[in-house]
Amino acid sequence: MKNILTVFRKEFYRVISDRRLLFTAVLLPGLAIYLIYSLMGNIIGGQMEEVETHEMVVYTENMSEDFQTFLADQDLNVRYEDGEGLSKGEREAMLLEGDMDLFLSFPEDFDEKLADYQGQTALPDVGMYYNPSKQFSSNTYYQFQSQLSVFQQAIGVDRHGLDYYVFSINQSGEDYEIFDEQKATGQGIAALLPMLIVMFLFSGAMSIGPDSIAGEKERGTIATLLVTPVKRSDIAIGKVMSLSLVSLMSATSSFIGIMFSLPNLMQGENIDLSIYGVFEFFMLFTILLATVLVIVGLISIVSAYAKTIKEASMLILPFYFGAVILGVSSMFSDDTQANVLFYVIPLYNTIQMLIGILTFEINTVAYLVTIISSLVYVSIFVYILNRMFQSENIMFSK
Amino acid sequence: MGDYKVKENLMKVLEVKDMKKTFSLSRKQRAIEKTDETKKVAVNNLSFTAYPGEIYGLLGPNGAGKTTCLRAISTLIKPDEGDVFVDGFSVREDSYEVRKRIGFLTSELKLEDHFSPNYLFDYFAKLHGLNEEETSIRKEELFARFGIEDFREVKVADLSTGMKQKASIAISLVHDPDFIIFDEPTNGLDILTAKSVTDYLVELRDMGKTVIVSTHILSVVEKICDRVGIIINGQMKWTDTLAQLHESEEELESLFFRLVAESEGAQ
Repeated sequence: MKNILTVFRKEFYRVISDRRLLFTAVLLPGLAIYLIYSLMGNIIGGQMEEVETHEMVVYTENMSEDFQTFLADQDLNVRYEDGEGLSKGEREAMLLEGDMDLFLSFPEDFDEKLADYQGQTALPDVGMYYNPSKQFSSNTYYQFQSQLSVFQQAIGVDRHGLDYYVFSINQSGEDYEIFDEQKATGQGIAALLPMLIVMFLFSGAMSIGPDSIAGEKERGTIATLLVTPVKRSDIAIGKVMSLSLVSLMSATSSFIGIMFSLPNLMQGENIDLSIYGVFEFFMLFTILLATVLVIVGLISIVSAYAKTIKEASMLILPFYFGAVILGVSSMFSDDTQANVLFYVIPLYNTIQMLIGILTFEINTVAYLVTIISSLVYVSIFVYILNRMFQSENIMFSK
Repeated sequence: MGDYKVKENLMKVLEVKDMKKTFSLSRKQRAIEKTDETKKVAVNNLSFTAYPGEIYGLLGPNGAGKTTCLRAISTLIKPDEGDVFVDGFSVREDSYEVRKRIGFLTSELKLEDHFSPNYLFDYFAKLHGLNEEETSIRKEELFARFGIEDFREVKVADLSTGMKQKASIAISLVHDPDFIIFDEPTNGLDILTAKSVTDYLVELRDMGKTVIVSTHILSVVEKICDRVGIIINGQMKWTDTLAQLHESEEELESLFFRLVAESEGAQ
C-alpha cells in the first residue's frame, strides 16, 4: 500500500506541478466547453433573433385584396413589392440571392372567383415560391402558409357555416398538457449529458494516460522504476489511481463548463439542476468513479501495449469512437434498459445509469450490477497491466 | 588494484550460471542486421562469478551480449536457460529480493525530465523503503560526492549529460546496495566526470561491494577492474584476474583482439 501511494503521489504531482499539463488536461476542457457552447448558444440565439426581427420581403402577383385586408389585421413585419412582370428566371435568381423571401402568386381575378363560388369546380391555386435553404425565406414561407390557412378557413366558414369543421381539438379550455415537470426537465438534461460526460471522461484520461505509461516506455524511464523492489501490481495500481483522479478532475471541469454554458446553449430553456438531491448526486458520483476506473484501466492497457505515445493515442481512438457512438445512442432513447444483464456492458451501463439517475428512474439492481461489474473489470485490467509490466517483450519492445 | 576478498562470504557473490537468452527479431531488425534468421542468441551458456570487494569487468565489442547479461542480472529480462544468483537469490524465482540488493545503471534507464534530482532521489528512496532520516543521510553523502548540490533542484531536462549521469548514479545507489551493476558508466562523459565515476567505483569496491562493469573501453578495464570476462558473440571467451593475465605476459589489448579475430575466423 505504501508503494502504491508513493507511485500515486509522484504520478499525480507530475500533472499538478506542470502548469501546461494541468491547464490542458484539467482546466482547458471546462473552459473550452464553456466557450464553445456559449458561443454556439449565442450564435443560435442571435440567428433566431435575427429571423424574428427580419423584415420579410414578399413579392406579389395578382395580389388578392381580400387577403391583403386580412393581413392588415395581423402583426407582421413585412414589406410588399410588386412582382408583376418578373420573369420566372428573375424571381428564381432573386430567391437564390436572398433579395426576395417569398413570391406569392395568385391566379387572376382570385377574389372574384372566390365570390362567384357556385359549387366545386377547379380550385384556384395560390403559388408560394421560396428558398428552403435560406432561413429568412423559410420563415416567411411558414408565416404566410399559416396566414393563408387561416384565411382559407375563414372563407370556408363563410360558405358553409360551422359545418366546414368536422371536429375541433382541445377547445374545452382544460389543461391538456399533463406531465411531471421534474422528469421533463430531467429528460432534457438526460438527452445531452450522458454522451458529453462519457466523452469528457474518455478524453480526460486520453490526455494523460498515454504519456504516463507509453511515454515512460518511450523515454526509458519505466525501466528505472522496474528495477526497484516494488511489486508490478503496486506500480499498476498507483498509476491507475493517479490517472483516475486526474481524469475525474478533467471530467469535473468539463461538467462545470457544461453547467455554466447550458443557459446560453439552451437559450431560455429551463435547465435547473436543483431538481436533483444529494441521493442523485451521490449516485452520479459513484457511477462516474466506477466508469473512470474502467476507462483508465482500458487506456492504461493500450498504453502499456504501445511502444510510443503516438501509437497509444492511435490505438485508443477506436475505443473513443465506440464510446461516442454509445453516447450518441442515449440522445434518442427516452427509457432506460430494463434488462439488468445489459448493465454488465461497460460504458453502455454508465450511459443507461446516467439516464436513469437524471430522469429519476433509478433501478437499484442495475446500479449494483453496474458498480460491481465495473470493479470486476478494473480488477481484470489491473491484473492484465501487472502481467504486462512483467513482460519484457511488452516493456522493452523496440 | 584493491585486494578482492575471494569467497570471504559465499552468500555475497553474484553468480551467472549457464545463462542463455534468445530474442525474436522483428522484420525491421532483420533488415538492419541483414539476416533471415527470426531469432538471435544474445548470450549463450554464459557463466561467471563476481565476488565482494572486486570489480568484475565485462569486456566485449558492441552487440557482444554485455547489456543483455546485465539486464538479466537486474531482473529486467529473464534468462531462457540457466540462472543468475545474487546473494543466493535467483533472478528467476526471487526477482523481488534481487532488486532489493542491486544498484543498476544503464543508458537505457532514464530519469524523468520533469523532476529534479532531489525529488527523484526522495521518490526512489521511498520505493526502496528508506525512512526520512536514512534518505537524508544518504542524500547528503551522495550529493556531496558527485557535486549534485549545485543542481539538486534543477529539472533533469535542463541538466547536461554529465549532470544527468551523476544524478542517475546517485539515484541508482540510493539504497546502498551490496551489488553494483553499471553498464557503460562512462559513455558520453567528459574526462573529469568519467574519472569521478571510475574513482567512485573503486571506492565502492574498497567498501566490500560486488561491482560489475560492462564496457568496451580497454583503458577503463585496465584501470579499475580486478577480474575480466571477455564476451564475444554472446559467449564467454576468457575470464580471469588481470593479475593472472599480467603473469602470462600477454597484454589485455592483444588478448582481446586475438579473441575477436579467432571468433571471426571461426564464423
